[in-house]
Amino acid sequence: MDAPAQVATSQLKTLPQIGPQKSLLALLFPYFLVAPTLILIFVFTIWPTTQTVIGSLYKPPLTVRQQEQFVGLQNYVDLFDSSRTTRPDISAVFTKILVNTLVFTTSTVLVSVPVAFIFALLLNRKIRYLGIWRFSLFYPALLPLIGAASIWSFIYADTIGLANTVLRSFGLPTVQWLNIQSMSLLSVIIVIIWKQTGYYMIFYLAGLQSIPRDIYEAADLDGANIWQQIRFITLPLLRRTTLFIMVVAFTAGFQMVEQLEALGLGGPNDSSNLLLYYVFQKFSDPRNWGYVNAITVILLLILMLFTVTNFYFFEWRRIREDEH
Amino acid sequence: MNTKSRFSLADVVIITLALIWLIPLIFTLLMSVRPEIEPITNGNIFFGSTLTLNNYAQTWAVAPWPKHYINSVIFVFGTLAVQIVTITMSGYAFARMKFAGRDLLLFLILLQLMIPTGVLIVQNFVTIRRLGLFDTHVALMIPYWGSAFGTLLMRQAFREVPFELEEAARIDGANWLQVMRSVYIPLSIPTYIAFALVSISSHWNEFLWPFIVTRSDDVRPLTVGLSKLLKTTEVGALYGQLMAGTILVIAPLVILFMLFQRRFIESFASSGLK
Repeated sequence: MDAPAQVATSQLKTLPQIGPQKSLLALLFPYFLVAPTLILIFVFTIWPTTQTVIGSLYKPPLTVRQQEQFVGLQNYVDLFDSSRTTRPDISAVFTKILVNTLVFTTSTVLVSVPVAFIFALLLNRKIRYLGIWRFSLFYPALLPLIGAASIWSFIYADTIGLANTVLRSFGLPTVQWLNIQSMSLLSVIIVIIWKQTGYYMIFYLAGLQSIPRDIYEAADLDGANIWQQIRFITLPLLRRTTLFIMVVAFTAGFQMVEQLEALGLGGPNDSSNLLLYYVFQKFSDPRNWGYVNAITVILLLILMLFTVTNFYFFEWRRIREDEH
Repeated sequence: MNTKSRFSLADVVIITLALIWLIPLIFTLLMSVRPEIEPITNGNIFFGSTLTLNNYAQTWAVAPWPKHYINSVIFVFGTLAVQIVTITMSGYAFARMKFAGRDLLLFLILLQLMIPTGVLIVQNFVTIRRLGLFDTHVALMIPYWGSAFGTLLMRQAFREVPFELEEAARIDGANWLQVMRSVYIPLSIPTYIAFALVSISSHWNEFLWPFIVTRSDDVRPLTVGLSKLLKTTEVGALYGQLMAGTILVIAPLVILFMLFQRRFIESFASSGLK
């Protein structure tokens, strides 16, 4: 198998031109290199996306003998309007779960990103046993969502849970963290803030380390205090980092649902349910697939607001830049 | 320089926060070695009347952990091994070759950064069924074998390798594989390590996809084993066993992180996209 060798060799201008047969191979070699990645991404990303969109336009057959039926955007209409649908159960909860998902993602991002910035500021100094404190703040990011949730299922347990035991020892009333509708989503949000903050912190740490020391020294000489330095030097210089972290955090947030498996299964009464988890709960019955596909498309569209921003501002631009 | 261990106010704040963040892990460990019949109470929050490994023994008995460990290892390293090959190939092509349609093909690959594969569970499940891969190790791994993120990472790394090194190797008669082995791969080891750490940790922790495309314990990884434990312990609220099981699942990665903290943090920082 030395064909690729000769092929690639023809790339070199310094070597003599190789015959027409070999140059055909040379022509094909880059496509051979790209093919595995391209085919796999076609089969597991591009193809399922088109299938999801197409599937969302059909009503699945209800009996074996029926054909699936093209219904246009009816599945989407049904999701938002529960009055005239064949599946009131799905329509009734969809809006609630969509709102849950937006609340869940937005609040976890808007709390954990600023807190991550504070963590990074506090850690980015000379401090004893840095490794221990950094470990303590970052390790939740390395846990599986389901493992983190399993830990918190004990913290949140009604009578013997850690949180309620602590509340009781202070003479405070206990809380039903996962079993009442007004608390369940908040309880899940707390877990994700705990888990994600350390992860976003490391991007800020990297960003902070890229700011030259002498800027702060100059500010010191000018008599700027620590708050002014943060406000007028650190934050502006880390604006790109912050945008990047926000986009990453939103993208991750919309897909973070595995914790629900250990924290109440989206209940009670779907009060903590999230879109992707709902898809996971409903897809095993093929009769739901019209709706399940439509929900997936809606989730994809929301996600693409962030991924396309990220791609345009960070990846593609960088790729174009370093071509020149 | 102040050599005495004096902590400033900022130190105290961050240490307090760090300890708060550590509480869940500490109590997971404590619960796992506490006698199951002694729930934590006001008088005795930390240790029970005695330390015991009984919870671990119980947990070990109710689930086929060795199988789950093996499956997780196969899943993680089987994914990584194929990824290394595919991203090396595509990374080189996009870094060093000119060919018709290159930008279009790169764009198609980068669509994976814009369409998170994780939300396409339903249609990918259908594909796995059609391919006859349901309930196999390959079903776990195959959606991750093509990696846009890895392709970009390797493209970047290979572009930083001086082209003269490749030329010199070519003149010595090296073929493409030899050039890769002697020039590009050795010079890109840090990038491979960064990619490997991110890949390993994200797949070790994955739950939803493995749960969907597998049915038997012969294939299911640790996270799915843990979810089953959750279902069985919920009934009797056997939190000691559950925490022992959780430790079994999270320990390998957490210990690895303790040992190679800097490497992990640098790798994760250099890889915003999973």
